[in-house]
Amino acid sequence: MITLGDSILYAGIAVSAIALIGLLLKELKNNDILYRFVSPLIFLAAGLLAFAYLLITYYFVVSDFTYEYVWQYSSRDLPLVYKIAGTWAGQPGTYLLWVLVIFISAAWLAQTTKHATALARRTQIITVIIGIYFIVLTLIQTPFKSIYEFSNVPQGFVPPDGSGLNALLVNFWMTVHPPLMFIGYAAITIPFAAAIVYLLTKDEGWEELGRQWARFTWLFLGMGIAVGGVWAYLVLGWGGFWAWDPVETASFIPWLTLTGYLHAASLHRKNKATFSIAAPMLAAVSFILVLYAAIVVRSGLFNSVHAFGETSTGTLLIVSVVAATVIALVLGMKRYFEEPETVEEDKGLWNKTNIFYVTLLLFVVLAFISFWGITFPVFIQLTQGLKVGVASDTKNFFNVWSYPFTIILLLALGFCLSYKESEKQKQIQTLAVVAGLSVVTMLFRTGNFYVLDHTSPFFVREPTIYKLLGSISLISIFPSLVYAAWAIVNRLQEYLRITSLRPKIKGIGIATVHFGVVLILFGTVISASFTSSMDNINIPLTAKGELVDIGNGYGVKFLDLSTSSLTGKTNSYPGTQIGDIMNNPSSFEGTNVTISGQITNISSLQGHGTLVELTDNSGSMWTVFPGNITETMGAGLTVTGNVMSGFQVPVLQVVTGDTLDISGNYNVQNVKLEVYQNGGKIGSGVAQYLEGKGGSGTFPLVDRSITGTDVYVIFQGESGGYIPLTLKIIPAVNFAWIGIILFAIGIILIMGTKSKSG
Amino acid sequence: MKTKKLLTILVLILIIAFAYGSYNIALSKFTLSDKNNSYLGGIKFYRSDSGLQKGFLEAQQQKKPVMVYFWAIWCQYCAGFQTNTLGNPQVKQILENDYVLVAMDLDVDRDVSGRYGVSYPPYLIFMDPNGNILQRIPGAVGPDYLLPIVTQVRDTVRSK
Repeated sequence: MITLGDSILYAGIAVSAIALIGLLLKELKNNDILYRFVSPLIFLAAGLLAFAYLLITYYFVVSDFTYEYVWQYSSRDLPLVYKIAGTWAGQPGTYLLWVLVIFISAAWLAQTTKHATALARRTQIITVIIGIYFIVLTLIQTPFKSIYEFSNVPQGFVPPDGSGLNALLVNFWMTVHPPLMFIGYAAITIPFAAAIVYLLTKDEGWEELGRQWARFTWLFLGMGIAVGGVWAYLVLGWGGFWAWDPVETASFIPWLTLTGYLHAASLHRKNKATFSIAAPMLAAVSFILVLYAAIVVRSGLFNSVHAFGETSTGTLLIVSVVAATVIALVLGMKRYFEEPETVEEDKGLWNKTNIFYVTLLLFVVLAFISFWGITFPVFIQLTQGLKVGVASDTKNFFNVWSYPFTIILLLALGFCLSYKESEKQKQIQTLAVVAGLSVVTMLFRTGNFYVLDHTSPFFVREPTIYKLLGSISLISIFPSLVYAAWAIVNRLQEYLRITSLRPKIKGIGIATVHFGVVLILFGTVISASFTSSMDNINIPLTAKGELVDIGNGYGVKFLDLSTSSLTGKTNSYPGTQIGDIMNNPSSFEGTNVTISGQITNISSLQGHGTLVELTDNSGSMWTVFPGNITETMGAGLTVTGNVMSGFQVPVLQVVTGDTLDISGNYNVQNVKLEVYQNGGKIGSGVAQYLEGKGGSGTFPLVDRSITGTDVYVIFQGESGGYIPLTLKIIPAVNFAWIGIILFAIGIILIMGTKSKSG
Repeated sequence: MKTKKLLTILVLILIIAFAYGSYNIALSKFTLSDKNNSYLGGIKFYRSDSGLQKGFLEAQQQKKPVMVYFWAIWCQYCAGFQTNTLGNPQVKQILENDYVLVAMDLDVDRDVSGRYGVSYPPYLIFMDPNGNILQRIPGAVGPDYLLPIVTQVRDTVRSK
């Protein structure tokens, strides 16, 4: 039996296939027979998928547990927002979200271009093909799988409650991180398609067609990664805002190549001969790497906090990556050999194109380091059956290799933004000085302020080359950081002098984004090096209100411990609302009514039954049981019986009754704390601990200060009369957050200035 | 054109050298097949599903408690936990003398992990010889925290 949702997806395939045929007929045979239906069909396909997404959201909202996906990721007592977030908690739902955004992109493309050019039509062909492929993937792992497809589930059985969302995911960031990621993943389809068309046909205008999409992807992917970092920062055991976890790294890689693409495109649009292969190849590679990120999550080959487990679509994703790579490579090579050897006038070694090209290469190198670091251990495991680590401590590998190239990238940033044809010699001298300073400062011996933490037990086990690179002093980041900041400020002043509005705003946007880079690097380097952490702090409950010394001059005062249900008092009681009956008891007279509630009073009728008062969210009502009852005060009950309204107060005569679990699946412990340093208060607030399905989640106390330092306390749940805490003092981390916000503001400013001419 | 070509070739060589080098470093230095248990704090553990069964057999014969350690090679916290907590001389002595020790690789022994409801490393489960769970210790706790527990669990099982 095909479910409604699945049939919508099949209809989506059919509709988009017809649109595709229409486009292909036009393209190959110049046959217009289906052509005028193409746009409406694409809108219809997007509408169908939107409807499918609304449908699965509806199933989540009404808790229809006859769908496996809903059963697996939701439960009745979840607040509404987490029920909705359940739609993207697992693979099936995220595929649906992904394909929905692909088709929204296709519809947008149809709307804005009207398929007026060959380029637009051809881009649409590729987009629709990718879209259909993703509907197939969605269908293979459909979110609309009915539980009756499992042989051990009897027909007509309705699970009373769902399995529930994993407690770790019951978190505000769960409502934003996955949609940002998947919207970003999907939006890159159009720049990819346009780039492939360009490589194939040399159609002009491909960059303009994909420009806003590339920026949009950059924004969403970047923010998705950043929000994931914020989330990981707040969860114990996820290793802080960046841990080089394979999945976070995997989404970072396409973001890097996409950043490279945006840089390539900015020159390519001014001179079509510049980066005529590098730009489209970077767009293509970014898309391929997004698919690769999906493999990392879904193949079950990579070990990560994101592990969704092995799935049937892993192989299909691998096939698509291989296909896309082969196509992009072949086309890229073909173009390379076709391209006439352009004889540019020689502007010398230090011209803008060359410097930009270095920047592109640096992005590629950084992307490759990350790619290689997550990939080759899996490759070795698959080919030789051996498990290997990339370094004694995984993050050391990435930090050691990425650091030198980050410095060079900062130097390139400073040089590019201060580049002026007329002052070239002076600029080169400045660059040489800063580069020299960077190298010299690398050799400084600075306590423990090195690329690798020398006090870590892992450090001694690293190979010589990692120890060597790991002994580079982090002081060496400051010359290039200051140089970059100086260049940005200078450039910004120039932009501010521009009188026409669009280039001015765009310039401000560019400066903002680049200043974000400086802040992020500053914040991450400082916070990663100077965080002090105290684990296993146990405050006895008896010390309430007292300042407890925890060593190193720090003290904690615990003010209050309380528990609450995540949903508060909004437990759902099945059946008729008691308040409705009490308001108008006579209308319920003589009919069978089911009510539920908590037992708030019990009174025995001395052999004539038992009076039990039930209370739900709307009111209280007395019920009468024929005999004695075993339930006690506070328990939940669901009863069915007749309302007798003739008494002074209405009473429900119970025919059948059953216990109702009202304990709730998600309980929160709140501990109110104050943190002191040398007797002075440095932070206060509430740390929370959530217990629920699949374990627990922590909502730490994070008290920010104006200097950028966070006082950060994780509470791991009351146990044995103690409050276990972890205290961290994290300096400068807020600079990184501000940098991320600047990224968003900057790219939005740039996007806002899009004009026909670019 | 020429500069770019040169740069590209240079970067390609660099990338290949880096890839080749790091690959071989990992193979020679960071192979985690772990035959000598070096990765597990230098303590000898029973391994895999069959090891778990052998462990319980031994526990029943010798009336010892069983400690199952769930770990994973990619687990950054485990390595520190192994060196500092399990490798702590006092803890290590009690574990080696008075316990039957079993280590479960979360990647390999997925069934066992699922059976005991363990979804992340490091994670310790203490059991009596009959397999009744006495204590669960999720996360990388310190030796001060673990020492009283290993003592208490041992004494509980002994007194039965």
